[in-house]
Amino acid sequence: MPPQSDLLQGTLDLLILKSLTLEPMHGWGIAQRIQQVSKDVLQVGQGSLYPALHRLEYKGWIEAEWGGSENNRRAKFYSLTKTGKKQLETELENWERLTKAIGLVLKEA
Amino acid sequence: MQAFRRLQILLRRLFLRNKNSELDEELAFHLDRQIEANVVAGMGQTEARRQAMIAFGGVERTRGECREQRPGFWIERLAQDVRYALRGFRRNPTFTLTILVTLMLGIGATAAVFSVVDRILFRSLPYSHADRLVSVGLVQSLEAQEFMLGGFYYDWRRNQTPFESMTSETAVTRECDLTEGSPAQMSCPTVEVNFLPTLGITPVAGRNFLPEEGMPGAPRVALISYGLWLRHYNRDPRILNRTIEIDDKPVRVVGVLPKDFEMPRLQAADVVFPMTMDEAADRRSNEGIGGPKRVFARLKPGVSVEQAYAQLVPLFQQTQKWIPAEIRSNFRLKVRSLRDRQMQDVRLTAWVLLGTVIAVLLIACANVASLLMARGASRQRELAVRSALGASRGRLVSQALTEAALLSLAGALAGCVLAKGLLQAFVALAPANVPYISRVQLDARIVCFTVMLSFVCGVLFGLVPALQQPREEMLTGRTLASVSRAGLRQWLVVAQIAASVVLLTAAALMLRSFWGLEHQQLGMREDNTVTASITLGPRNYSSGASKMAFFQQLATRLRFGPGVQVVSVSDSLPPGNGHGAVRFGEILVDGRPRSMEGGGTVVTMRSISPEYFRALDIPVVRGEGFRDEDLNSSDRVVVLSQRLAEMLFPAGDSIGKLVNFDHVDFPKSPTWYRVVGVAANVKNGGLSGEQTPEYYLLRRNRADDWVGRGVWGQTSMVVVRSSLPSEETAKWIRLQVAALDPTLPVDIATLRQRVSKLADQPRFQASLVGFFAAIGLLLAVIGLYGVIAFLVAQRTQEIGMRMALGARRTDILQLVMARSMRLIAAGVAAGLVAALASSRVLASLLFGVGPRDPVTFALVPLLLVAIGLAATAIPARLASRVDPAVALRSE
Repeated sequence: MPPQSDLLQGTLDLLILKSLTLEPMHGWGIAQRIQQVSKDVLQVGQGSLYPALHRLEYKGWIEAEWGGSENNRRAKFYSLTKTGKKQLETELENWERLTKAIGLVLKEA
Repeated sequence: MQAFRRLQILLRRLFLRNKNSELDEELAFHLDRQIEANVVAGMGQTEARRQAMIAFGGVERTRGECREQRPGFWIERLAQDVRYALRGFRRNPTFTLTILVTLMLGIGATAAVFSVVDRILFRSLPYSHADRLVSVGLVQSLEAQEFMLGGFYYDWRRNQTPFESMTSETAVTRECDLTEGSPAQMSCPTVEVNFLPTLGITPVAGRNFLPEEGMPGAPRVALISYGLWLRHYNRDPRILNRTIEIDDKPVRVVGVLPKDFEMPRLQAADVVFPMTMDEAADRRSNEGIGGPKRVFARLKPGVSVEQAYAQLVPLFQQTQKWIPAEIRSNFRLKVRSLRDRQMQDVRLTAWVLLGTVIAVLLIACANVASLLMARGASRQRELAVRSALGASRGRLVSQALTEAALLSLAGALAGCVLAKGLLQAFVALAPANVPYISRVQLDARIVCFTVMLSFVCGVLFGLVPALQQPREEMLTGRTLASVSRAGLRQWLVVAQIAASVVLLTAAALMLRSFWGLEHQQLGMREDNTVTASITLGPRNYSSGASKMAFFQQLATRLRFGPGVQVVSVSDSLPPGNGHGAVRFGEILVDGRPRSMEGGGTVVTMRSISPEYFRALDIPVVRGEGFRDEDLNSSDRVVVLSQRLAEMLFPAGDSIGKLVNFDHVDFPKSPTWYRVVGVAANVKNGGLSGEQTPEYYLLRRNRADDWVGRGVWGQTSMVVVRSSLPSEETAKWIRLQVAALDPTLPVDIATLRQRVSKLADQPRFQASLVGFFAAIGLLLAVIGLYGVIAFLVAQRTQEIGMRMALGARRTDILQLVMARSMRLIAAGVAAGLVAALASSRVLASLLFGVGPRDPVTFALVPLLLVAIGLAATAIPARLASRVDPAVALRSE
């Protein structure tokens, strides 16, 4: 099993929002997407995934709908709301700023 | 929009709880997909499921965390905490009730007293920058409230430096009648045109007086009070510039005063007139000394009262030269803040009350703390269990907070009810001279403050057990931790007892002082005596002749009443002051040089009828006193009080000597009086005042003798001594007055009632302080009882052991009582020290009792020890009844 990186607080929210930009997805799908795209570096366990999804839903950034999944089972699909999209943009900006800053520090020091 | 959406979710959360099953389905789906993925990766069905389960982790925990994300979750948790707390309270009703009663007493008493004293001590006066307002003037032994006279006021006003502005009102606020529509008697102060601007008052409608309205010959204008505007004119805005009729003369209304307006001396003000500033005329008036004024001023920014005083000294020295030399040294300059001027000696009472009630509040808080700590100690095991079952520290703390909040809220509610009742009692009890008392309301800020205090108190001591890391051994048995905390509780009890010693001492001193006041020898007999205070209207009875005619007719009619023995008429009655007074230095004895010695002592004067001494049963110890013949004689005669006679004639040869009292005012032609008697001393400086030397003048059958001066001139006191019950006599007096003039108001009271009314303020102080001391004592006893009972409960096993080893009941009783006695003794000792240090504050409120009265300081500790031991007796007896077999098996 590849080493599991601790996700920075709040980073998970960003990853979830980003994963949902293409299409509505269910929880399992989101976890898989993050794992695949990160080449198995980032593994999201359900213990943190579902509370995060619920939190985002209550904040109104994503919304959920029950629909049929690939294997014809009922699953809960999450999609970005308008405010979620806006939120993603600001979070991305923040992230860029943060990583750039950290990069600068690491290079200089 | 966002907020609305949140609310929607919140409501759905609260009312539809089916989300749980949705979450389960979602999680199950996740698990199944994991299994599928594992199968695809090449695992067998069973292995795939097993691996998936392992990767998945605890479902319950995820469920909990998802639930906690809900927006309304804190409400659920709060409701849970509240339910839990309530269950706990129900399980332990004695504990709950004790805390509630304690909080109720503490919060109720504090809120009520704060509401009364807040206005007196802390709240700003309803003027802008009221802290810069001062009252300024001269004081002398005859008038302790600062005043100024027209004879020098104008010089001060022109030449003063410390004030931004200086203003005045006439010393006497006259009564006037609204003579249009429905007539009404009103209070009508007359003020300088700059009076309201100096105080910083702007009318709610219309304008202030214009400078020209204070000029001689200006048209008559007035400002009316908000109350009058409301009552009489229904807040009609057309009142402005309307002409109303006052004392049958037209007056134009130019403005309406604000709702919360009050005169700086707090007298009523329905209509305010501008003072006509005619300097020359004012200087000539009042026999050449000028009209008396009350003067107020606004300090320049940054100038203190002391600096103002210093800057006024040169003006004062100038004025002193103008005062006749005989009495010059008697005048002093006085500058004090308006608040001090208003509150007078009530301030000290207010501070004493405040101190008392704060002590009660502290005792109450100590009780709450002590009870909560005891509860905490007995719940340590419960907390340990909850912690072992997974409750986080935060949860335990929030649980403790919820309990404290619930208790203080409930206590506050009960306290508010109590405060409301107490306030009503205060208002009913309070003497008339407590400012604002009738307007006092329960103050919301104060209620908040006391609730906060009790909450903090509860939280502080409720949190202690919750914050401690629960130890595992608590699950198995008990440790010494609870015992060590009992040590802190014992200190609290000592402090409580000390505080109640202080309270009780204060209460006992004041009660003793009040008792002495009520039971002192007044020098007259008050039984079977009914008095009537009759004030003749100035319009119908302006001349001395008319007053004489009325009172002589009345006296004649009254004499024929059933059972009436004596009737007398005088301008005033003891133990109050006479209305006239001179300084001792102003009295001149024929044939002696003027003496300046002891010149400042006040000598009070009464105008009386010959029957006065018999009516009040005051013995005439020398000479004959007034005879009926003197009534028609052209001779002027005087009776001296024994005290004055001793001062004027130390040799005792007073009878027949000639004296005069007015040579300072009329050096050329003083009025000489012949001394015809010496009467025994009568209390005449108020109940608690010093014995004042006094002289009596006879009101002969001459109109001049009945011309009264000033506010008191229209009032006389009729005394009727009768063998009938006082109600009958009162009815008879009313009947006879009505027969002469049915419109006259009569104020009838027995002499005893009048005397007792003078004791209103000491009674108020003594009963209030006594009441709070009782509450404090009760609370302290509850605290003591609680601690001893707790200690006994903790030592049950040990006591059982001792008894099993042969200790007798008396030994156990002694063991417990000795413990309690140590606490009581420590508390009483500390309290006595504190009381000795603090009782001096009370000195000026006490009469006939020193602030270190040995009787009080001996009895209070005894009382406390007795009550304390009684409170301990119950748990001690319980301890001595412990059955060793049961106690040893109990754990």
